[in-house]
Amino acid sequence: MSNTIVALSTARGRAAIAVVRMSGDDAIKIAKKFFAPFPKKPNMLKVGTLKTQHFDEHAMCVYFATPHSYTGENTVEFHCHGGTAVSQAVIEQCIHYGAVMAQNGEFSKRAFINGKQNLTNAEGIIEMIDAETASAAKAGANLLENKLGKRVVELQNELLDIISACEVALDYPEEDLELPTVDTAEQQLKHVATQLDVLIATSTLGKVAKYGIDVAIVGKPNVGKSSLLNALLGTDRAIVSDIQGTTRDTLTESVNYKDIKFNFVDTAGLRDTSDTIEQEGVKRAKKAADSADVVLHVTDDPSDRSVYPTVRPQVRIYNKCDLFENEPCCVDSLVVSAKSGNVEVIKETLYEMFSAGDIENSDLLITNERHLSCLKLAKQQVNQAMSDCKATTLDIVAGSIRQAWETLGEITGTSAHEDIINRIYSKFCLGK
Amino acid sequence: MKEYDVIVIGAGHAGCEAALASARLGCSTLVLATNLDTVGFLACNPSIGGTAKGQIVKEIDALGGQMAINADRSLLQMRMLNRGKGSAVYSPRAQVDKNVYHAQMKRTLESTANLHLRQGEAVSIEQISDGFVVKTAVDLVYTCKAVVLCCGVYLNSKTLVGQCIRESGPNGFANARYLTQSLIDLGFTISRFKTGTPARVRLQSMDLSKTVEQCGEEDVRPFSYITDSIPATKRSCYLTYSTEETKRIILENKHLAPIYNGTINGVGPRYCPSIEDKVVRFADKERHQIFLEPESEDTCEYYVQGASSSMPASVQEEIYHSIEGLENVEIMRDAYAIEYDCIDATQLDATLMAKHIPGMFFAGQINGTSGYEEAAGQGIVAGINAERYVHNKPKFTLRRDNSYIGVLIDDITTKENVEPYRMMTSRAEHRLVLRQDNADMRLTELGKEIGLVTDERYAKFLHKKEQIESAQKQLKTVVSPKVYGPLFAKKDEPVTGAGLTVDEMLRRTNITTKDMQELGFFADIDEDALYEIEIECKYRGYIEKEKEAIAQANKLENKPLPADIDYLAIDGLRLEARQKLDKIRPANLGQAGRILGVSPADIQILIVYLATHR
Repeated sequence: MSNTIVALSTARGRAAIAVVRMSGDDAIKIAKKFFAPFPKKPNMLKVGTLKTQHFDEHAMCVYFATPHSYTGENTVEFHCHGGTAVSQAVIEQCIHYGAVMAQNGEFSKRAFINGKQNLTNAEGIIEMIDAETASAAKAGANLLENKLGKRVVELQNELLDIISACEVALDYPEEDLELPTVDTAEQQLKHVATQLDVLIATSTLGKVAKYGIDVAIVGKPNVGKSSLLNALLGTDRAIVSDIQGTTRDTLTESVNYKDIKFNFVDTAGLRDTSDTIEQEGVKRAKKAADSADVVLHVTDDPSDRSVYPTVRPQVRIYNKCDLFENEPCCVDSLVVSAKSGNVEVIKETLYEMFSAGDIENSDLLITNERHLSCLKLAKQQVNQAMSDCKATTLDIVAGSIRQAWETLGEITGTSAHEDIINRIYSKFCLGK
Repeated sequence: MKEYDVIVIGAGHAGCEAALASARLGCSTLVLATNLDTVGFLACNPSIGGTAKGQIVKEIDALGGQMAINADRSLLQMRMLNRGKGSAVYSPRAQVDKNVYHAQMKRTLESTANLHLRQGEAVSIEQISDGFVVKTAVDLVYTCKAVVLCCGVYLNSKTLVGQCIRESGPNGFANARYLTQSLIDLGFTISRFKTGTPARVRLQSMDLSKTVEQCGEEDVRPFSYITDSIPATKRSCYLTYSTEETKRIILENKHLAPIYNGTINGVGPRYCPSIEDKVVRFADKERHQIFLEPESEDTCEYYVQGASSSMPASVQEEIYHSIEGLENVEIMRDAYAIEYDCIDATQLDATLMAKHIPGMFFAGQINGTSGYEEAAGQGIVAGINAERYVHNKPKFTLRRDNSYIGVLIDDITTKENVEPYRMMTSRAEHRLVLRQDNADMRLTELGKEIGLVTDERYAKFLHKKEQIESAQKQLKTVVSPKVYGPLFAKKDEPVTGAGLTVDEMLRRTNITTKDMQELGFFADIDEDALYEIEIECKYRGYIEKEKEAIAQANKLENKPLPADIDYLAIDGLRLEARQKLDKIRPANLGQAGRILGVSPADIQILIVYLATHR
């Protein structure tokens, strides 16, 4: 039995392609959930569509069946377009379906454990792992200096207090101490759970900082969506005409504003049509809106009060204001003219909406996928411990809390067993 | 010059188990003790077991050792600690009669074939081509193929009562003055540890009306799996407290305590502080709990648990008199601290044999542990392996996933001890499967293979195993709501209306195997087997998780590290890791990962190194 790990196998940063590798019992099962058509045979590279939370991607996929793989386990590789955003999204998808982020050198470790290491390529691997370890050590050191690291250590300490109190209750049943019950443990765990939520929530902002904000531009045909995109970009990127249905497919372009990036998606105008190509365009427009961080709902009618049907946050844009006779009726909307180029207000509004100013002031952003998955797992384990408090005895509860503590230790690199024993003796008066 | 297969030096709890194992397995075995009145002597508290220690006693028993049987034979009262906190931490503890304990253990040694008990102070050990030469203080010389050192707290020991310092072992017994030098000559690193014991006081002089009486519990299983029943409580314990006055006296006289005025150099255990230690370190605590424990049925001496001290005798009087109920107490023996030499156990392998001297084994407090049970647990492993060494059999080791003894030995041979090591349940990461109830299921088969398990014990083991299997077969039987409804109503468990299997019913919090017996199940199943079934059902999810964790950990545990690796030459490792690995030379990757100062990244580098260079 081995859990399934995933990691980027090629170097980070700009490159033509990126390879994401997944290894473990469930690797093939997980890959099948979002890559189709999945290769029918092992060792064959197959072109297909890779569905992520944010976009669909043409990619290639190959799988190796145990024991005929590098690690000796079931292994799947995705060969996709280069750049961090794509590979990151693929990794997120793997994690979403049950994989966990690989530790540094874990693929090689498994290869060794399963007796698969061979001599020919090993020298190269040592170099790679050395490099990874050095950077990991550096990252670890940086982490401990910043606020995030300190917060995680604080949470670890809080858990350590609960654990040591539980352990004292178990190891020194006859001491005259104010000992925790499962009830007090549960109260303290609630506090940790809340703190973990706060940390996990910063990953949203962290994601904004890293990948930018996806903004879908939707609306009826000919309201000026493509003009708006061009105005936002400051170039004539999209084809603009008076003919309804000019924009068929979605078109994504990014622009930097202050310290963040907007990924604007121009879409086909929404209307009922018998044109099958345009129908597909409308379908894609809706999909783009559903996966965006925010929707710009564009209209050129100052009396239009309609709301675009989506769960995503939206901003109504009254375009072509240079043609308006009356002021638009809604004050909470933006009034612009793509033609005259007065669209900065949109960027500023979006910037404020995502508290993007906070990024600069915040050293508390979770941007690392491994950290985030550790925090989420720790949260799950704290939840498990809380439900154990209701259902079972202190020996089990203490074990569950310890798991959460060890998970946080994977972020900070510190969860030595001795810590528990030391805490017990420094906090409690014990003995014969 | 007499020749033996094995010589065991010391006849405390480690020495007795080591000698019995070695002799019972067929080695001619000599036991040398400075004084034969110290055989199985309970130098400190008159009790056996307790949290984690109780589990160790059960494990020794399951392997075919003596401690549990001897505790049952000398029992004054028995309790099960940690009831209500979960089966994983249930821990039996016995108050025993220390005179009977000693006498019974000595009698057992005397009546064991191949075992020779001899009073004598070993003064030197010399390595010869096919074994060792051991000399005693009276110039007798013995040779052996393997030697087991179980010197306890006797090596170069000093006792301290205030400024009165004596070259002595515990309780006025003679110490071992010369052996340390032999160990230094043989390349061992010596450090100095300290421990202490409270005064013994006279029962008739205590005002028991101010204390709370504590009797034993009747519904506890005996320690040994082959003892049938335990007697009713023979003697009571009493609970009382120190006072504000105690605190005042100690703080006023702090400068007279050897640990605070520099007289003591040894490192004492944090878990076993003297009363002055407690008062100084935990100044805001108003009072400290004191247990009065009977030493023996033959004597009126009581052990004052919680009040060990190295203060001058006159200050001790004042301290004890300030304890509730002890206002007029007569002290019969002074409390004292004791300092002693021990070795660095990281020089040993998992069989407790010195890595650099084949045939030389160590067990007990000489390895830096504390406690009778910890000592005995090491003793049986060292004794078994001494015999296997003599007879050229493969090594026998216990593991972290099959026993507390395995955890103990792995810990002390992997991590450099800074204080005497006491076993705790929190040290055992797999404690859910290392329970006091299932030590026989975990280890008796192993003990049988080794040859220490008697036919009687094995028959009992097989019977329990068969009973568990037969009970397991009944778990799948489906019971209709008509049958179980009344029971569930009585027990406050919701009835679903559907049929339930016996297993499903037992997973309910309030339903026990006893309830199921009322419904006609498990008719011929003994209590012990039923207990296993109940835990299996109620803890199944957690135990399965634990087993997965064990399987995961064992992947590294099963990767041996060759003995001749030059760690200092592996560039990828951090310097600290190189030095620690070079010093401790772990047996496998799992053990390497537990060394303090070796990080997960270092382990990965080792993994790749092994794959490429071996």
